[in-house]
Amino acid sequence: MSEPNTRRTSGAWAVVAVLLAVGIVLPLLVGLYDSVEPRLGGFPFYYWFQFLLIPVVSLLTFIAFRLSVRATAKDRTRFGLPAEPGEDTRPSGSER
Amino acid sequence: MHTVQLVIFLFFFLLVTVMGFMASRWRRADTLDSLDEWGLGGRGFGTFISWFLIGGDIYTAYTFIAVPATLYAGSVVGFFAVPYTIVLYPIIFIFLPRFWSVSHRHGYVTPADFVRGRFDSKPLALAVALTGLLATMPYIALQLVGIQVVLEIMGIGGGENASFLEKDLPLFIAFAVLAAYTYASGLRAPALIAFVKDTLIYVVILVAVFYLPSQLGGWGHIFDAASKSFDLFNKENADAIKAVPPQAQGKGILPPPAVHWAYASLALGSALALFMYPHSLTGVLASKNRSVIRRNAALLPAYSFLLGLLALLGFAAIAAGVKVDNPQLSVPALFDKMFPGWFAGIAFAAIAIGALVPAAIMSIAAANLWTRNIYKAFINPAATPKQEATQSKLVSLVVKFGALIFVLGLGTQDAINFQLLGGVWILQTMPALVFSLYTRWFHRWALLAGWAVGMVYGTLTAYNVPVPGKPGSHFGGPLQLVPFTQTKGYIALTAFVINVLVAVVLTLVLRALKVANGTDETSPADYHADAGDRGVEDVLEGEPGTAPTTG
Repeated sequence: MSEPNTRRTSGAWAVVAVLLAVGIVLPLLVGLYDSVEPRLGGFPFYYWFQFLLIPVVSLLTFIAFRLSVRATAKDRTRFGLPAEPGEDTRPSGSER
Repeated sequence: MHTVQLVIFLFFFLLVTVMGFMASRWRRADTLDSLDEWGLGGRGFGTFISWFLIGGDIYTAYTFIAVPATLYAGSVVGFFAVPYTIVLYPIIFIFLPRFWSVSHRHGYVTPADFVRGRFDSKPLALAVALTGLLATMPYIALQLVGIQVVLEIMGIGGGENASFLEKDLPLFIAFAVLAAYTYASGLRAPALIAFVKDTLIYVVILVAVFYLPSQLGGWGHIFDAASKSFDLFNKENADAIKAVPPQAQGKGILPPPAVHWAYASLALGSALALFMYPHSLTGVLASKNRSVIRRNAALLPAYSFLLGLLALLGFAAIAAGVKVDNPQLSVPALFDKMFPGWFAGIAFAAIAIGALVPAAIMSIAAANLWTRNIYKAFINPAATPKQEATQSKLVSLVVKFGALIFVLGLGTQDAINFQLLGGVWILQTMPALVFSLYTRWFHRWALLAGWAVGMVYGTLTAYNVPVPGKPGSHFGGPLQLVPFTQTKGYIALTAFVINVLVAVVLTLVLRALKVANGTDETSPADYHADAGDRGVEDVLEGEPGTAPTTG
């Protein structure tokens, strides 16, 4: 059981924030990738780089998700919620 | 007329129509008003099937028609749809879980519900609801265009010399089908036909993005052909391009530095806007618990990959030698040219059904917004369920008429502008909706004023953008110079920044004057509650994760 300590999750949330900020800002920096060369499989750099960003940002978001699951669980007590949601003790995200 | 195509097309179309009407008879007990019918994206299936169904909802006329058309037309910012769908998911990750929690604690099913509860302000909730209604119309218009172009390629409707009525015949058919379908079956129909629709869509996408490039000499050749064609155009029109300062652009396959912000702001603005739409937010509420949203945010980008390849079909059409005046026809014309008749028929059915379903969902979501947040809140608080159902049905028709007016009034040459115009409006509800998930610092009247200024600025600016080559025309594009700069940006995002500035300044003033800011009915814990917590009701029949349509 985690203590109601406000500092304990802020580190995790900071990492989450950085991961997501990279995922949002990187695709918007068009100057990084607006060139034809080097080509890959016939695709100009501009195009294959953006395709490459899809799995990269997906991975960043996934890591952020894993971190957030733990941080969210710790945060619950801070807001006067039981440490675990009532009857629903399944791991978050599991299918029925 | 293309007989084989038409027969196959009609076969699939009739099949899903019959299924749709059967759906309405099958489990009739519920009222149309019940938004709990929503769970389109997932209905208790496992991860794979949910993923499959959600993906089917993402591919609409936006991905099949409008996005490839911008590339076909040589727009240097046309590929923005890909970064749009990339940055979308980290953004979802941030604020949607809080919205999920507070909505489930308080039984909110629309964005306007939350705003009313948080600020105790009917005018602000009304503004949010009206914006949702208005912004949904051009979005539906885009889907109508999708059905229209498919019908046109199959030879329904007139050619160049056709009369006005004949020319718009495909559009009226598309409208009539959509209206009849939604009116009769409500949301059950799209839920039941999802499997047929999604199977068709995936088959067509996979064949299109793998078979077509191989027939056209590979992607390298496709890019070269597009590039060559644009260079030739720029050479032939060099004088005209130079004559339109200051940010005149020729055609091209990548954006020059002058339009980098245009590209980035289109992507960011579209991503921020998507989850303000009533149909998207309501879809999110159907997910089983709050972490499903975050997990899906990590899994969904796989769809962006196919979306990007579909977008490049615009270049494939150039490589295949497709010549059409209306760029929206490029992908259907490409299918017509490259596929055997029977498969083209399947592809056209997939596009049309893939446009019909989201259009139906959007119009019903908008209609429910009307019934819940305007009709019941202001006009008839004591409405019976029957009256509510009647209202929803009628307003879903009104919304579709609105969409029809957008199509007729704005022309269909650049259908992506419909979606971008909707974004200009809907993004103005973001401060009231998203900022207030985190803070009650903003004053409700300041948020309302910011919204009003953003709406007026955005609408006027968009109105004053002429269609390229037609001075004096209106609503010709999503980009305009950002005030005090020489850089073009997406009008929605500029209006949003102005909106926030107004809201901040007026909040400082109103707080200094100690003007009452209403009673907040939510508490901090509400924003963290999860499924299983006390007071968390299944607002909608709790089902595993859903995502809304991007189209």
